[in-house]
Amino acid sequence: MEGRGIELNIGPVHPATHGVLKLVADIEGDTVKNAKVEIGFLHRGKEKIAELRYFNSYFPIVDKLDYVGALNWEILWASTVEKAMNLEINDRVKYIRAVMAEIQRIMSHLVYIGSFGQDLGNLTFFIWALRERELLMDIVEEISGGRLAPMYNRVGGVFYDFTDGIADKINTALSKIEEKVKKEYRAMTYENSLFIMRSKGIGIMGQKVIKENGVTGPNMRASGIKRDLRKDEPYLVYDKVDFEIITENDSDVYARFMVRVREILESIKIIRQLLKDMPKGDAKISAPWIMKVPAGYTLVRHEMSKGEGAMFLVTDGGLKPYRLKIRSPSFYSLQALPLVLEGCKVADAFVITASMDPVMGEVDR
Amino acid sequence: MIFNEIYSMLAYYLPPKANLIASALATFVLILIVLIATPIILGWVDRKFSARIQSRYGPIYVGKFGLLQNFADVIKLMGKNFVTNQYVDRFSYNLIPILSSALSFLLIALLPFGAPSLTFISLPYNLLFIYILLAFSPLLIIIASWGENNKFAVLGGFRSAAQITTYELALIVTFISIGIVNGSYDIINVIASQSLIWNIIYLPLTAVVFFIGSIAVIERAPFDLPESSQELQAGWRIEYSGLKYGLFMIGDYVKLLAVSILFVSLFLGGWSGAFLPGIIWFWIKTVVALMFLMSLRWSLGRPRIDQLLSIGWKWLLPLSVINLIIVEVMMLI
Repeated sequence: MEGRGIELNIGPVHPATHGVLKLVADIEGDTVKNAKVEIGFLHRGKEKIAELRYFNSYFPIVDKLDYVGALNWEILWASTVEKAMNLEINDRVKYIRAVMAEIQRIMSHLVYIGSFGQDLGNLTFFIWALRERELLMDIVEEISGGRLAPMYNRVGGVFYDFTDGIADKINTALSKIEEKVKKEYRAMTYENSLFIMRSKGIGIMGQKVIKENGVTGPNMRASGIKRDLRKDEPYLVYDKVDFEIITENDSDVYARFMVRVREILESIKIIRQLLKDMPKGDAKISAPWIMKVPAGYTLVRHEMSKGEGAMFLVTDGGLKPYRLKIRSPSFYSLQALPLVLEGCKVADAFVITASMDPVMGEVDR
Repeated sequence: MIFNEIYSMLAYYLPPKANLIASALATFVLILIVLIATPIILGWVDRKFSARIQSRYGPIYVGKFGLLQNFADVIKLMGKNFVTNQYVDRFSYNLIPILSSALSFLLIALLPFGAPSLTFISLPYNLLFIYILLAFSPLLIIIASWGENNKFAVLGGFRSAAQITTYELALIVTFISIGIVNGSYDIINVIASQSLIWNIIYLPLTAVVFFIGSIAVIERAPFDLPESSQELQAGWRIEYSGLKYGLFMIGDYVKLLAVSILFVSLFLGGWSGAFLPGIIWFWIKTVVALMFLMSLRWSLGRPRIDQLLSIGWKWLLPLSVINLIIVEVMMLI
């Protein structure tokens, strides 16, 4: 039947679009003919703000880039400035940062899993995932004093060393999470037939789409591309720990979900090793609060919870950056989204969008 | 009927005409109490139960255990302004909440509350009448969704029509099977004929079909696709607010109770049971069925509309027909 179809505006205020993402979808019957992604509702000019601030005063802004993965971005910004300054940091600080990065990765993936469950109409799962995230939130709070935006790092080190006995607390929390992921989450999601029915075989993102659009991270690894900056270009202390790059081959929504679930377990493994090998001593900060950074161009790439994040910093030898360019992985995932959404069902469109794990804070910057 | 009971109780004290008015008033007050209290209390149970599933506390502040929370919410709903979009079709927009909740109330008024005499309306063919009431709701939903003049509402309305039409077919087949097995379309008689062996033993497939089909027909999660809040932002209810939305909510809970009472009456033998009085058995079974229905909502995601329809057409309808044929053959032997 030939019909005119409906143009449906989904978002920016919609319960399923994860922030202020807006989709404009042409719908015929129950099928999405094509979809457009509109972004920019959360644009706050963060790259410009960098030019107005001292290097250390930029951390609060970095926290709000990816507000469910703040520590990862903090570490990236700190590493960028340190590289620009040719600053060598303490070994213990490296370990602490790696532990915090992995904790943050687990937290971010838990939010992903929860919101994904919610988009499938299962509110219980959302609250369960946040319940597990809370365990780690408490640990981050105890270490840094902050929760969502901890502001824990600074150039040359971290603000506070680990508190006494935090390693035990982290280990207890991790084993709790491991148990929940392996038992409760399995029953609720990845071995639940209703869940599989909804997520398998939809939203297939082939390797071509991924390479053309620069999609990275778990979204890429779900399509069978084995690439992880932690392994390929080890930073911090990732060359000293033993872990695997998680890949799935189905490149559908289910594979993207499974990559995250398995990465949580892998991160738990990493944190355990790091805590065991952590060197004694104190985490001294090796740079002043306000300092000049020599002129030059610096590019640092890290593996974020959502893909490869990079910062390209141009300095002119002054107290503030000359120019900063941020590569946020979610932005590139959203580039591929319209291609993946083409021809899917309306109900699946939300699931596929959720499976990309966009965080608008870092997309709009 | 409750009216008759009250009438015969009061007959000793009052002259016939005064008695007629008095017992009519008493029945009316009783209906109001049941209709208002049930959804509110059920809503509390639902919130508390879901909270325990989700490792939360649920309502705790208003009243003991938060028991009065839902009364407070209803009062808040009553105090809200009616926000009406200027493009809606006023007539259908205002009519549907009233009609739809009236239908649900009628549904529960037809059902027995634990004893043969505890019904508000007694009809000889009340099972068929219940079916008619259930079958009526997609019509109302389509009118509502069209009248709201909103894309999300229309999508939800069409989904709802497709879903309910599919599952009603399965439901009518289960009703026919029950009619054949028990020789009656009157719920009271159906329960009476189950005093020895419950229907669920004769008709296990039909029981499953009825259970799934009834969830789909009352649009309860996980089959709440027409109003799925994550996709369609409440679907065909998108433009409703305040008490009009509240009426839908109340109607939902009433339907939930109606479906569990219906399941208990049709398959689990109603008030038949050993040792305890019948009315207690009846409510124990109803609460168990209700809790099961509620826990489904909080533990399963929702399927896609085409998957839901294919479950309905490919599995439930054939299954119920097969069970019907088996029953027919057994009856002939």
